Amino acid sequence: MKLLNDGQLKSAINAFRNTKLRNFWTMLGVIIGVTSFILVVGISEGVKLQILGQVQRIGSDILTIRPNNIQISGSSLDSLTLLSGINVSGSLSPNDLSRVANTKGVKEVVPLSAMTAQINGSGGSYKKGLVIGTTPNFDTLLNQGLSYGNFLNSTSNMVNQVVVGSQAAVDLFNEDVPLGQTVLINNQPFVVRGILDPFPATPLSSGAEFNKALFISYGNSEQMTNNTVTTYEILALPNDPSQALKVQKNIESSLLASHGGQYDFRVLNQDQNLKSSTAILDLVTKLVIGVSAISLLVGGIGIMNVMLVSITERTHEIGIRKALGATNRQILEQFLVESTTLSFIGGLIGVILAYIIDLVLRLFTDIEPSISVTIIILALIISTVIGVIFGSIPAFKAAKKEPIDALRSE
Amino acid sequence: MALIKLDNVSKIYGFGDATTVALDEVSLVIDKGEFVAVMGPSGSGKSTLMNVIGLLDRPSQGRYMLENRSVSRLRSNQSAKIRRDSIGFIFQSFNLLNKLTVIDNVSLPLAYKGISQSKRYKMASNILDRVGIRSREYFYPPQLSGGQAQCVAIARALVNNPKIIIADEPTGNLDSAGSRLVMELLSEIHAMGNTVIFVTHNPELTRYATRVVYMHDGNIIHDENTVIGRVAPRARKVLYTLPVKSIDDDLAGVSALVKAIEPKSSPQKKNKRKRKTVKK
Repeated sequence: MKLLNDGQLKSAINAFRNTKLRNFWTMLGVIIGVTSFILVVGISEGVKLQILGQVQRIGSDILTIRPNNIQISGSSLDSLTLLSGINVSGSLSPNDLSRVANTKGVKEVVPLSAMTAQINGSGGSYKKGLVIGTTPNFDTLLNQGLSYGNFLNSTSNMVNQVVVGSQAAVDLFNEDVPLGQTVLINNQPFVVRGILDPFPATPLSSGAEFNKALFISYGNSEQMTNNTVTTYEILALPNDPSQALKVQKNIESSLLASHGGQYDFRVLNQDQNLKSSTAILDLVTKLVIGVSAISLLVGGIGIMNVMLVSITERTHEIGIRKALGATNRQILEQFLVESTTLSFIGGLIGVILAYIIDLVLRLFTDIEPSISVTIIILALIISTVIGVIFGSIPAFKAAKKEPIDALRSE
Repeated sequence: MALIKLDNVSKIYGFGDATTVALDEVSLVIDKGEFVAVMGPSGSGKSTLMNVIGLLDRPSQGRYMLENRSVSRLRSNQSAKIRRDSIGFIFQSFNLLNKLTVIDNVSLPLAYKGISQSKRYKMASNILDRVGIRSREYFYPPQLSGGQAQCVAIARALVNNPKIIIADEPTGNLDSAGSRLVMELLSEIHAMGNTVIFVTHNPELTRYATRVVYMHDGNIIHDENTVIGRVAPRARKVLYTLPVKSIDDDLAGVSALVKAIEPKSSPQKKNKRKRKTVKK
């Protein structure tokens, strides 16, 4: 069988040329479907890569301890009723911190507490600025560099020192490098000791928030809140990266004992962390892939309709071709090649459009979609298959025409 | 040797009250090398006869032998292959594909045969050369005159070296110069030993034929051999489009034909359906 007989391909391209505008509208469904498919998969992959990159920068063996919601009577829909299920947020205490630090196999711990405060600097103020209390090893554990100065040290809590995020440094001060300047946190003066590098921006992380945050020592934050500060996260670095899982279990059992057997906390390794942060992303991705599948379906139906119109218009041509000796199969092939060409070109335009949008996204947003060759090939295969499937009904109809009837129609 | 043998072939369209008998038990034998003109008023079944002979249409009844092979009950793909290999069509309205160049049009039957592009272009060029229109190879049909377009159609009909050339009013859309060109070409093809069957309304064109078949209401009412170069003796009297002069003339002008064939009988009687067996 000579499916891609040069004559048939040529006549397909000819037929295509002669009805450009109509074909464009026909292909639109396929174009939109392919573009959205490629972009969504690309964006989702890109974001995952960015998050992964961040994790790798921090170190894949760091364990994260977070408070967990205690939920009784399961479903979150309960919050819509007046008598809701019990939903209590647990918290981490300084006691937990010392327990984690003393767990066997843990090398270092970094607590992160968060509070909001009125912040006044020489050049501006935050009404509800984010103040994070942490320990001096924060920057080394997270591989976070400083633009100027140094991070907190062990005496910082005694002399009220602060390290500011890169954006906060711009917002709160007149000077470009506000080292040594004083900033008031809830009217308590702090001296700027260092300015952090910008946190790597990822679309779904709070990097931007951190850039506006002020970092003070954990001790200061406890003292400022009369020991009621919320510790929202404890980072723990195991001695031996290969023992991370074991250390994770140790921390879990140690905390469980102190929390009276309640799982109001979670200990996550980076894998789990990654999964929880990409779970929603995966869901959205699936949803949009579903939508683009519908678009492709509609595009396929559009191609089918146009092909049906086309064979009605070209009945006489079919008659001529049959009179000259075209078999049913050759007519079938001709129209299948035509519909497939149509949807393949649609797919190709979709790919090009996806690349253009990808470029725009990279230029104007933090999103860096990662469009892989596999996805491109997959998209092109899908669009080709659509052409074959939806082109087959019109093509069969064309092939079955009686030559004499077809010749008579004008 | 009989190339074409029709044996009581009928073609009936529609059913019930709307039944139309396009061919009424027609029997006809055509030998290799004949140049047959088919004449008759509109609706007499000439085109249906051409379509049946050309395997574009299937007879409702009767037997059709092409080269001693029964072809009256073929499947559509089988008849497509016979059309491709053995039959060349020439139509009144040329039926060229306007979106293809002249050479692509001519090589189309070869493409369906599966011949490679370079080879079929070569063959098409040769044929176009033979019909004297090679200089228009890369023109599109709308850029040609009627005579030129019909020459292209003839080239297309000839390109697969068919056994039979079927021309359904090949000069119907042409002026006198074009008609002349086309008929000269057809008689040249005939002179080379091909079998040509053509339908015409113009009695003058019977001068090219070796045999004239007259049809009326789906029957062959007369069949005669003629001499090339001379208009068939009865044909000139049978101008179907002549205005009717008396009440005896029917609308299709068939009485003129009947008068021409058997001048002694009265037209009234001859208006009844009349069937003549074909002698050959």
